Amino acid sequence: MVSSSRVFRAVVLALRVALGAVFVYAAWTKLRQPWELFAMSIDAYKVLPYGAVVLVARTLPWAELLIGLALMAGRWLKVSTAAASLLLLGFFVLMVRTYAKGMRIDCGCFGLGDPISARTLARDGTLLAGYLFLTWTSFRGRRKAA
Amino acid sequence: MKLIALVIAAVLPYLAASSDVDPGKSLGSPSAPIRIEVFSDFECPGCKGLHEQILPLVMRDYVIPGKVYLVSREFPLPMHQYSREAAGYATAAARLGKYEQVADALFLKQVAWSASGKVWDAVANVLTPAEAKKVQSLAKDPAVLSEVQHDLELGRAAAINQTPTMIVTRGTSRFPVVGAVNYTLLRSLLDGLLK
Repeated sequence: MVSSSRVFRAVVLALRVALGAVFVYAAWTKLRQPWELFAMSIDAYKVLPYGAVVLVARTLPWAELLIGLALMAGRWLKVSTAAASLLLLGFFVLMVRTYAKGMRIDCGCFGLGDPISARTLARDGTLLAGYLFLTWTSFRGRRKAA
Repeated sequence: MKLIALVIAAVLPYLAASSDVDPGKSLGSPSAPIRIEVFSDFECPGCKGLHEQILPLVMRDYVIPGKVYLVSREFPLPMHQYSREAAGYATAAARLGKYEQVADALFLKQVAWSASGKVWDAVANVLTPAEAKKVQSLAKDPAVLSEVQHDLELGRAAAINQTPTMIVTRGTSRFPVVGAVNYTLLRSLLDGLLK
């Protein structure tokens, strides 16, 4: 008989790999194109000055790649799950704000052609819940081990 | 013989790509290294911003120096009641070499005609009486109507779902640029592609 803790660990592992792959995919969709295209998506939100837009556009995809790979490999879990949750929380708040303002812009989440809509909010909200759950399990695991 | 076949195979896609361009709706040299296709809707505020603020800069810095071939495409969105009618007039005016003038007038008076529905009033202002008569007749021509539909289908095939969208093509690389973009970023993109 399979114990419930083994099932739980398997679910967490599957979720971690899947959500890590989401970050890797998000990074890949941005890195395969000129950085200016992602910069235009960020600029469309109208929240950052030009210099910050350029900085974020040139560094965020690499951070996403690193976080995604760390999640998939199960390395630096406390940091990678917390970073993924914080990043997605930031994106989600921005998207909700933009949607509430009625701005029809691209989300910029997975490359271009993905306008912010109720569907994208539901998708990112679900992903956020997943990352928060992983963060909770990684911190809980550390506490238990301690 | 093999070489000729290879050359034809290499050139054909470019010939096919330029053959579907209405010369009345394009600016610059077809042999420019970069081609920008602008899919826009005359009733969309973002398209007005792109047309009035960004495209004149693209004209000055890239089209006139021969670096960019600029093609206008119609993409009337279903949520805009009069944009297809406006696209029809503009495409008809292109047959007389008056596309730019009509497009400028439509964007300039966008707020007025999109509220009143009097699209023709904006168009008629920039045409002589003889041109106006021709444009009104051409706007009902099946060839003009099918050109608008063809642009729309090209946009759908390129997965365009909002306006304005520019498809920037350099060789075999195609990049969609969505929205009324920051010109500094667009310039950086174009300069990068020209390197």
